Amino acid sequence: MTAWRVPLTDVEVTEDDVQAVLACLESGWLTMGPRTQAFEQALAEFVATPHAVTVSSGTAALHLAHLAAGIGPGDEVIVPAFTFVASATAARYCGAEPVLCDVRGAHDFNIDPEDAAARITPRTRAIVAVHFCGYPADVLALRKLCDERGLVLIEDCAQAIGAHLHGDSDRQVGTVGELGAFSFFSKKQLCVGEGGMVSTASQELAERVRLLRSHALTSSTWDRHRGHDPAYDVVDVGFNYRLDEPRAALGLSRIARLRASIDARRATVRAYRERLHGLDGLELIFDEQAVERSSHFAFPVLLRDRGARDRFREQLKASGVQTTWYPALHSFSEYGGLTPGGRATNLPRALEVAERHCALPLSATMSEDEVDVVVAAVSDALAA
Amino acid sequence: MSTAESFPELPLFDLQLQPQDLEAVAETLRSGWLTLGPRTAAFEEAFAAQLGARHALAVSSCTAALHLAYLAAGVGPGDEVVVPSFTFTATAAAALYCGGTPVFAEIVSRERPSLDPEDVERRITPRTKAVCVVHYAGYAAAADRLKELCDARGIALIEDVAHAPSARLAGRKLGTWGLAGAFSFFSNKVLSVGEGGLLCTDDDDVAAFVRSRRSHAMTSGTWDRHSGRTDTYDVVGLGFNYRLDEPRAALLLSRLQRLEAEIERRRELTRRYRELLQQVDGIIVPFDDDEVPDSSCYVIPIMIEEDGRQAEVSSRLRERGIQTSIFYPSIHLFSAYRKRFPDVSLPITELASRTELTLPFYPHMTCEDQDRVVTALAEAVK
Repeated sequence: MTAWRVPLTDVEVTEDDVQAVLACLESGWLTMGPRTQAFEQALAEFVATPHAVTVSSGTAALHLAHLAAGIGPGDEVIVPAFTFVASATAARYCGAEPVLCDVRGAHDFNIDPEDAAARITPRTRAIVAVHFCGYPADVLALRKLCDERGLVLIEDCAQAIGAHLHGDSDRQVGTVGELGAFSFFSKKQLCVGEGGMVSTASQELAERVRLLRSHALTSSTWDRHRGHDPAYDVVDVGFNYRLDEPRAALGLSRIARLRASIDARRATVRAYRERLHGLDGLELIFDEQAVERSSHFAFPVLLRDRGARDRFREQLKASGVQTTWYPALHSFSEYGGLTPGGRATNLPRALEVAERHCALPLSATMSEDEVDVVVAAVSDALAA
Repeated sequence: MSTAESFPELPLFDLQLQPQDLEAVAETLRSGWLTLGPRTAAFEEAFAAQLGARHALAVSSCTAALHLAYLAAGVGPGDEVVVPSFTFTATAAAALYCGGTPVFAEIVSRERPSLDPEDVERRITPRTKAVCVVHYAGYAAAADRLKELCDARGIALIEDVAHAPSARLAGRKLGTWGLAGAFSFFSNKVLSVGEGGLLCTDDDDVAAFVRSRRSHAMTSGTWDRHSGRTDTYDVVGLGFNYRLDEPRAALLLSRLQRLEAEIERRRELTRRYRELLQQVDGIIVPFDDDEVPDSSCYVIPIMIEEDGRQAEVSSRLRERGIQTSIFYPSIHLFSAYRKRFPDVSLPITELASRTELTLPFYPHMTCEDQDRVVTALAEAVK
């Protein structure tokens, strides 16, 4: 096992967080109840969305967002090719087909609204806007496009809780699409282990998500515990996508520090950018305005090409610095793969950024010393 | 407080965790590693060893375990899965997730509300890919006969063991009779954690499939990359996020140490409950006394002999601070299933659903509490 000098991410769990979970466990009530309700309320306030419905994961949030949007067999959903695989699997769970579209470019690797528009067919029902690595996609442009073409806009905010909009800095991601999907996976800005949330301004959509996350039962264990009638109906094909109370308690404790955590991540990104700026062979991604709006899940940089990127990562690994990168969806075997020796021609920018980028360590608790270690390792790797 | 909005004095279930359980969770949280990692692996190993199964794979819920079990059995569009209707909706819903069709079969009787192998046999068609047997309330259904029946036809037997961890049939643990067993760690279960589940199997290919599909069919996990084992990954199928996380695995591992002792306590309480209940006129106490030593004794179900009195008896008990539940309404009569399968008729199941009540039960229940429940029930049924 590699002992990293600087791991990719680090999760700080405070003593307050621990005590919140222990108090919940001591209460003996572990299934969706008062803590889940309180966490949902805190989330709705944080994101500034009318409805927040917690679920078991970001993937579950995407699945239920698609179902609530009415996506079904025969439909097409436009998804950027540079994202985590769950952005595309959600459409498939519903029997629909994800249609991959390109990103703007290596320096703004979010969904390209023009390319999305070009891929709309009569079967298209929705567009998934992914705010990748915490950087907000141009959802205002996508909103306009979806309104013009009668499509649903679903925001994949799995990596971007607390990010502010491109073009409207008063608004946060997850409030422009009909539905937003968030993740509380253990590497995320707000993490509980496994968890997620759907945001929506629509009461009707919120109720639909609430119903489907717990087997479309007309009453919950908590309702019955409080003395409601024991009889219930099952009114649709639902799922077990519930969060439980210990995770809600942890999330509720941590959300109090979320804004400060995001600010700390941003400060680290700024320190990185200042010190890495101008290094030969390395390019920064996005501009200062995007850095201001991002909630900074990850800090990706660009190398010259795939070979340079792979060598760079090897050298950082040798220096004890953990890095990662996201393959483009169309390079996975399940999504067609890339022809041997060839290149996918219709999603060139997604492929380019996938091959050239590398994410450096980033967490809310990174010290200046750790930044020093990474910067020194980066300089050495580039000089090698 | 009105009876319509109040906590029952005697709830259906109640959970008391021990200081060592809390310490295990606290220690995990303080470690800062929350996703699938060493604690999940340790829990899986301990659970597999206790069960006598080759593989145990922790997942996010029993529903997830059933979904993956059916997929592993090859259930796809057009395929049929024979399931009881006298069970929680997930047993059937998981077949729909795969694009398959649940085919509902009868239970034996109200005295033995377990899947009837003879009725299962009648419902097998060329499109049947799997049979799912539920070990209701923790008592073994006829997994032995169903296994013979399935093996003879090349059909997979899946066990829904949500109620029955560490229960046995003919000396063999439930969950190990078929291709895969699906366990639940939901908050009211014998081994509870909040939300959680597990799939066990002796089949290496099934284990590899489930390991892959529970985490998006990625060829490596976050822990693998953190531990330097691999660097990148491929996606090789349509997978899901059905992962458990480390705090829950730590809680399960801690609680697993006491599982046998807790079940033993449940058996003692069940014996006493049964003795008292057998003296109450007008009710049926399902299963036989001599099955208690092999059961996990998850819940105490009774059937009111006379039809049409379930709501009234339940409401009278509620007035006395006693919570009851219905385990289970017939799945085929739920509106979602009625719409899809309008012609299903299962008279024994339907009668059981209309007359069943599940009584309060938990390991720290006192004799006085039991007496109170039984006295109130006798008066309500009279």
